[in-house]
Amino acid sequence: MAEQMTFARKASGLVRGLSFIDAFGVGFMNQGLTPSMWVMITLGLGVYTGGNLIIATVLSALLCGIGFPLVWGILGGSMPRSGGEYIYNSRILHPLIGIAESFGNAFVWIMWIYVLAPWTIDPGLVMLFQFLGMPEAAEFLTTPIAVFLISSLVSFIALLFVVFGVKVFATVQKVVMALGIIGCAIILLVLTFTSRDTFMQAWNNLAVQYGSLTYDQFLIGARTAIEEAGDILPTTWNWFDTLGVMVAGSWLFAYSYCITFIAGEVKRPDKTIILANLSAILVPAAFMLWLAIALYRTVGFEFLSATAWMDNMGEAIAGYTFPWSTHFVGLAAVVTQNKLILFLMALSFILFNLWWVALSYLAFPRILFAWGMDRMGPKWFADIDYRWASPVKNHILCFILGEIGIAIYAFRGNPMEGLSVTGLEIVSVFGVTAIAAALFPFSKKARKIWESSPYRSWKILGIPVVTIGAIVNLIYLAILFYFFIVMPDLEGLTIGSLILYAVVWGLGIIWYFYWKRRNRQVGVDVDMTFGELPPD
Amino acid sequence: MAKQIRIFFVTDIHGSNLCYRKYLNALKVYNVDVGILLGDLTGKVMIPLVEKAGGGWETTLMGAHTEVTTLEELDKLKKTIEMMGYYWIHMVRDEFLCYRDNPKEVDRIFNQLMLERLKFWIDMADERLKGTSYKVYMAPGNDDHFEVDKIIEDSAIIVNCNNKNVMVGDHEMITFSWANPTPWNTPREKPDEELEPMLEELVAKVKDKSNAIFNFHAPPYGYALDLAPELTKDLVQAADRKIHVGSRAVAKIIEKYQPLIGLHGHIHESRGAQKLKRTLILNPGSEYSEGILKGAMIVLEKGKVKDYVFTSG
Repeated sequence: MAEQMTFARKASGLVRGLSFIDAFGVGFMNQGLTPSMWVMITLGLGVYTGGNLIIATVLSALLCGIGFPLVWGILGGSMPRSGGEYIYNSRILHPLIGIAESFGNAFVWIMWIYVLAPWTIDPGLVMLFQFLGMPEAAEFLTTPIAVFLISSLVSFIALLFVVFGVKVFATVQKVVMALGIIGCAIILLVLTFTSRDTFMQAWNNLAVQYGSLTYDQFLIGARTAIEEAGDILPTTWNWFDTLGVMVAGSWLFAYSYCITFIAGEVKRPDKTIILANLSAILVPAAFMLWLAIALYRTVGFEFLSATAWMDNMGEAIAGYTFPWSTHFVGLAAVVTQNKLILFLMALSFILFNLWWVALSYLAFPRILFAWGMDRMGPKWFADIDYRWASPVKNHILCFILGEIGIAIYAFRGNPMEGLSVTGLEIVSVFGVTAIAAALFPFSKKARKIWESSPYRSWKILGIPVVTIGAIVNLIYLAILFYFFIVMPDLEGLTIGSLILYAVVWGLGIIWYFYWKRRNRQVGVDVDMTFGELPPD
Repeated sequence: MAKQIRIFFVTDIHGSNLCYRKYLNALKVYNVDVGILLGDLTGKVMIPLVEKAGGGWETTLMGAHTEVTTLEELDKLKKTIEMMGYYWIHMVRDEFLCYRDNPKEVDRIFNQLMLERLKFWIDMADERLKGTSYKVYMAPGNDDHFEVDKIIEDSAIIVNCNNKNVMVGDHEMITFSWANPTPWNTPREKPDEELEPMLEELVAKVKDKSNAIFNFHAPPYGYALDLAPELTKDLVQAADRKIHVGSRAVAKIIEKYQPLIGLHGHIHESRGAQKLKRTLILNPGSEYSEGILKGAMIVLEKGKVKDYVFTSG
């Protein structure tokens, strides 16, 4: 152990306490292991049917593993405060960009409740009841009123996990993470220890039981249905579709950034944030790689693409009558009928999904709290309830906005809208922050911060590593954005989404100028309160 | 009619040269009438810059072994240390080993460096603020040794407001540097039962209590300004628990007299504002070690708090 060459006197102060494991936990849970695998396969491969999951996973892990830890880890380690990207963007770029971007991110966190609370019901609970042989209950859960009521309950439960303070949140998170990982590992083990012949036999047995299509009939039906939809079912992979799959795959690789919301509390932030980010990308990547290899081996390339396409399209192949859909958990359910195993597999999906909603309740109120502290919002944004040490009013606002979102989703929703949120996040959060990271070493506004950054000497060929990481990150985001724009299933949504992003940013800009004017009346120039105060 | 008074309030800069310079400049930048810098004023860490046998210097900064070889690098390192509120001292290896085994001698050097820096600050303020109209108050906090008071008293410009009743515009302001017991056994701390009579004695100096400013380093117990992570036996913060650590005596006094405003610090991570009955209580928090000056600008008008804004710069 290195010799400590420091003298400290007895004075009040604290040592940061969140460990690498704590930081990893937050990042990992926001990658949403099991439902994100579902998104990558059903919403990714289901659209880009010629995609290769193994190559898409390796590419995503490589680009994200370099880009995100270097961008978010270096920014978080250089400015280790709990507030997310709002702090970096407002300091390095401009307060206006900081607020507009943060406004977009706050909107994104509400959008996650809008999409993910209903997903806990369908496909989450629906698959559970289907697996357990309760089709009526599953059917009921797909009705708009059931989706609305039970999603509201999910949102409320998630609120309860967070509103009573971080202690309750952290305790429940450990349980959720453990059960979620166990359930996911069971799915993978079931698929790993099943041969192609065993799977086909199990599928065909179920087909007889439910009067459905056999393995071969399903493939024929899928080819026909896809042709009728104006496309073909590829028999092998291609690069275009493989890159396209990465859009939906980003759910599994691009979200560990939320570690920066607790950056002010982690031990050795210079190392912990960057390493926790990297690990929270590599661990899901390892799980996804394992799943992809197991699926190709057990199910086959063409069959997997066909099942993903059908799961994405709904009941699109005539004659398919299995009680559950053809998502990857459903494929594992073909092999085993053990109720406990089926329960744990579905539970994994439900729990990770539920925790995403809880993380919205963690992030959104913190963003509003940061605005309130900077007087870029009403004073009550910064109110902390003294009993639970949490911003209860912001939590309630989050719940109300989430309820509006859930109602819209339940009565007119489209699962693909989840990807439109991804698009918003690519542009509004990741893109802006990557630009801030690229400029960080060269920014006059943030010169003092860069000079005291532990990463200022990290250079390759004279170029700061944070800039290189930002460029890699921007390349990844450019790939995502291109394939998001050209994604066939998002035709209508893409234009709508782009308009929505513009409106959200516009509102953020109006918000900024309103509060800037409001503060000027008190005699404070917010540009000055955001920026570095000149010392002399 | 009472005119508007604009106050810039900062606490707990703990020896940070950069934060102090920003504070002095902020009076002009934020265009305020009154500056109040409440303790803790002195730093907590001394960094030995140990000469290496083959040339260069080595030390530990933020837990990381750090080496510099040129004088230019050494200068930069010193500035970083000062920005963080730490003190640096040159040593050869034998001296370092000797100090390491002699805590009393470390305390003596520490005290000397703390007072030297504070003296330097006072001289800087006297020079920079000479001829200006700013009214500038300063007082120690629980971490500051008693010698600190004398150095502030020697300033030509800055008023040591500790344990006094001073006028801030039309408002009386009393200042109290003590805190309830901490796990670190700091110079100015006592049990709440002993703090209460001290506070009562101080409050007795105030004529118009409802319009007064209570500038108390420790925040009141049980409100939003005194939430700190619970500590383990090793004084490391627990990952997931926050508890109230403020002073019950301060809470009792504020609840009893309900002044116009309560200015507090002490708990760096508990930046916030809250109404305690009719009293607005504020803690601007502190991020001194990163060179970020956290503050609160408060506008008083017609016997009321017209508005306040937290600043970060």
